[in-house]
Amino acid sequence: MNLTPEQMTLGRRNFLKTIAGVPAVAAVGAAAVMKGPVRGGPVRVGFIGVGGQGRALLRNVDPNFAQVRAMADINPASLAAADEILKKNSQPPAKHYVEFRDMLQHEDLEAIITAVPLWMHAEVVTTCLDAGKHVLCEKMMAWDKAGYERMMQTAAKARRVLEIGYQRNYNPIYRSAHEGVMKTGVLGDVYHVRLAWHRNGNWRRKGDPPSKDFDASKWGYPTWDHLWNWRLYWRYSQGLFAELGSHQVNATNWFLGTAPERVQACGGVYRFKDGREVPDHVYAMFEYPGGVTGTFTSIESNAFDERYEAFFGTKGTLIIRNENDAMLFDEGAGARPTGVEVAPKGAGAALETSETKPAQAGGAAREVSASTEGARGPSPTMIEIQSFCSAVRTGSPLACGPEKASHSAAWTLAANEAMKTSAPVKIG
Amino acid sequence: MPDVLTRRNFLSFDFGDRRAPGDHWIRIHRIAMACRFEVMLSSEDAGHVGAARAALDEADAVESLLTVFRETSAVADLNRRAADDDVDVDAGLFTLLVRSHELHEETDGAFDVTSTPLSRCWGFLMRQGQLPADDAVQQARDRVGMPHVHLDPEHQTVRFARRGMEINFGAIGKGYALDRMASMLRAGGVRRALLSAGRSSVVALGGRGHGWQVDLRPRLASRLVGRLWIRDGGVGTSGTGEQFFEIDGKRYGHVIDPRTGHPAAGVLGATVVTSDGASADALSTAFFIGGPSLAERYCAGHADTMAVLVLDDTTERTQVFGSYHGATLEMES
Repeated sequence: MNLTPEQMTLGRRNFLKTIAGVPAVAAVGAAAVMKGPVRGGPVRVGFIGVGGQGRALLRNVDPNFAQVRAMADINPASLAAADEILKKNSQPPAKHYVEFRDMLQHEDLEAIITAVPLWMHAEVVTTCLDAGKHVLCEKMMAWDKAGYERMMQTAAKARRVLEIGYQRNYNPIYRSAHEGVMKTGVLGDVYHVRLAWHRNGNWRRKGDPPSKDFDASKWGYPTWDHLWNWRLYWRYSQGLFAELGSHQVNATNWFLGTAPERVQACGGVYRFKDGREVPDHVYAMFEYPGGVTGTFTSIESNAFDERYEAFFGTKGTLIIRNENDAMLFDEGAGARPTGVEVAPKGAGAALETSETKPAQAGGAAREVSASTEGARGPSPTMIEIQSFCSAVRTGSPLACGPEKASHSAAWTLAANEAMKTSAPVKIG
Repeated sequence: MPDVLTRRNFLSFDFGDRRAPGDHWIRIHRIAMACRFEVMLSSEDAGHVGAARAALDEADAVESLLTVFRETSAVADLNRRAADDDVDVDAGLFTLLVRSHELHEETDGAFDVTSTPLSRCWGFLMRQGQLPADDAVQQARDRVGMPHVHLDPEHQTVRFARRGMEINFGAIGKGYALDRMASMLRAGGVRRALLSAGRSSVVALGGRGHGWQVDLRPRLASRLVGRLWIRDGGVGTSGTGEQFFEIDGKRYGHVIDPRTGHPAAGVLGATVVTSDGASADALSTAFFIGGPSLAERYCAGHADTMAVLVLDDTTERTQVFGSYHGATLEMES
C-alpha cells in the first residue's frame, strides 16, 4: 500500500482506523425485501446442533420470521444453554431431542437450521431434505465432494430450499461494496485479491463433558476431546481453510462473479503441537479464470492483520476489514484514502449539523447521538435467517444457495489436498 | 448440478443477487480542509459510489487552490504577492473573491475573508487561545478589511491596498467546495445525494419527499434545536463549541468580529439555509457575529434565505428569520 510517511508513523492499525472515519461502522441494515412477518406467519423451525455456532444462530432468530419449536443435540449442556437464549429473547421454550431423526418424526416442522460438526453435514441435511424440510446449514457445505453433491441433488429432487450460512452475503457493507465498487468498475481491472484471517490464540477449546457417564463414542467420537474439539481432527473437520478461508473465498467468488480453478498451499502444526491434526498456520495461492490470483493466509500466532479481504485493481484498492468497515484507496502517487461506510437509515436524521467538527477532534467534542451513527441494525446472521424464512415462504432468491457454496467447498478441499501433497491442485 | 432446475433452484443457484441492498445510507468520505468531507447516498444509488469519489477529488482540488497551509496554493501565492503586485488569479478564485466582497457588503462587514490577522492575534490559528494586548488588536485591525482588497474584473487581478493583509476562505471554502462537488455530481447524472463537510456545511442534491432530514444541534446548545428537511439547497452552521478558550470564567470563541477585533458574543449557534453552500456558510458566520438584528435585516431583504439563531441567554431562545422554498423546519419546543 502506498502510505505517506505521516500515515506510516501512526502505525498501520491506527492508519486503518484513521481513514476509516471516526467510528468503525457496525454491521447494519435489514434487507428491503423483508419487512415484518412474512405471509403465512413465522416458519416452524427446528434446530439441530446448538453448540457455540448453533446458539449464535439461535440468538439471531427473529420471532416474526421463525418460531423455534424444537432443538436436537447430543450434548444436554448445549440444550440447556440454548433454553436460556430462548428465555432471554422472550421466546417460548422449544422441545428437546437427542436424536435429530426423532425430532423430524415427532415435530411438525417446516425448516431446519443446523450447525453440527462438518463431517455430519451431508447426513443431517440430506435426511432433513428427504423428510421434506427446508434447510439452512452452517458453512462450510460438506466434509467432502460426495457429501455436497449429494446435498445439491437432494435439495433439487426434494424441491426444498437449501441455504448455506455464509453471512457475508447478507452483510450490507459487502452488498454495498459489491454494488457500488465492484460492479461499477471503480477499482479498474482487478488482478489480485488478498485474504487474511489472523489470530493469536489456541483453537483448542477447554471444556468438560456434561456428565461423568457421557459417552461420546455413541456418536462416533472415540473421546470427549474429539467431540468437543472436532475442528482439530481431519476426520470431522477441514481445518482453517474451511472454518475461516471458505468465508472469505465465498465473498471473493461473489465479488468476482466466478470461482477459482487451481490452488497451491502449504501449512502445518507449527505452534500448538498438542496432538491436533489440522494445521495452525495455512497459506494458499489460487487462480481464477482471466488471470486473477488470490492468496489466503490464516495464522494462530499473530493477530496484527486481524481479518480482511483486499481487492487490488488497476485504479484502486478495496479493503473490507473485520466484516464491518470498508475502505477504498485510489491507485497512484498522492492518492487520498477514501472511506466507505454503511449505516442503517432508521427513523432519524440523515445528518446532524453543528459548527465545524475538525477531523482530529478530541474528547471535548460531543459525540453524535446514537440515532444517526453507531446504531446497530439487525446482524448479518439475523438477516440471513430472515432471508431463509422468506425464501421458504415466498420463494424469494437466496444469496448463498448450494451452487455458490459448493464452489467455496471445492476450493477448501483442493487447498487441503494441495497442502498435504505439496503440489498444485485443479479445483472441481 | 442437479438434473432438473426448478425456478427456486435456478434462483438459488444464481451467482448474482438482484434484490435491493436494503435501506441504509452509504457514506463515502475523505479528509480534506482538516475535516471530514462526505457524500451520502441512499443504498439504491449505490451505483454512484464512483461518482462520489470523483466528487471528493474536487474537494481536494478546491483545497489545493484555497488552502493557506500550503505555500503552493493560489491563495498562499496571492497573500505573498498582492501587496506589491496586481496578481492574476484563476476564474474560480476570482468569482469566489467577488462573492466574498458582495457578502461583506450585504452583511455590513460582518463577513470578512481578511480577518486572519485578528484570528492570529487571539491565538486561534495555532489553536492556542490567548488574550491579546489592546495595541496588538489595533495593529491587526489595521490589516483587516475587505474594502482594502481591490478586485479588477477586467484583468481578473487582485491587489491589497495594505501590507500584511491575508485572504483566508475558512468561513466559505467548505460550502464552496460542496457547491462544486454538487455541480459535478449533477453533471454526472446523480440526482440525490447529501454532501457535507465537517458537519457544518451541507449541500442537498435533490431529496425524496420533503427532502433530507438534517437535525440542527449547535454544540453549545444543550439540546436539539430543530429538524430541517431540505431539498436542493445549502445549509451552513457557525458556532464556537469546537474552538474556544476560557479565562477567568469568560469564554472566548474563535469567531472574531472584524469590526471590533474581539470574539463575537451573544449567539450560541447560527444556521443558514439558502440556495448554495458557499452563501449558507458565509452567512452563518456573519449572523453569528451580527446576531439577530443582522439576520433579520438580511433575510427581509433577500428572498430564499432562512436563519436559525440560538441566543446565548439563560433560556437559549431560538429565533427564526426568513424562509427557503426547499426547506421545512420543525422547531423543538
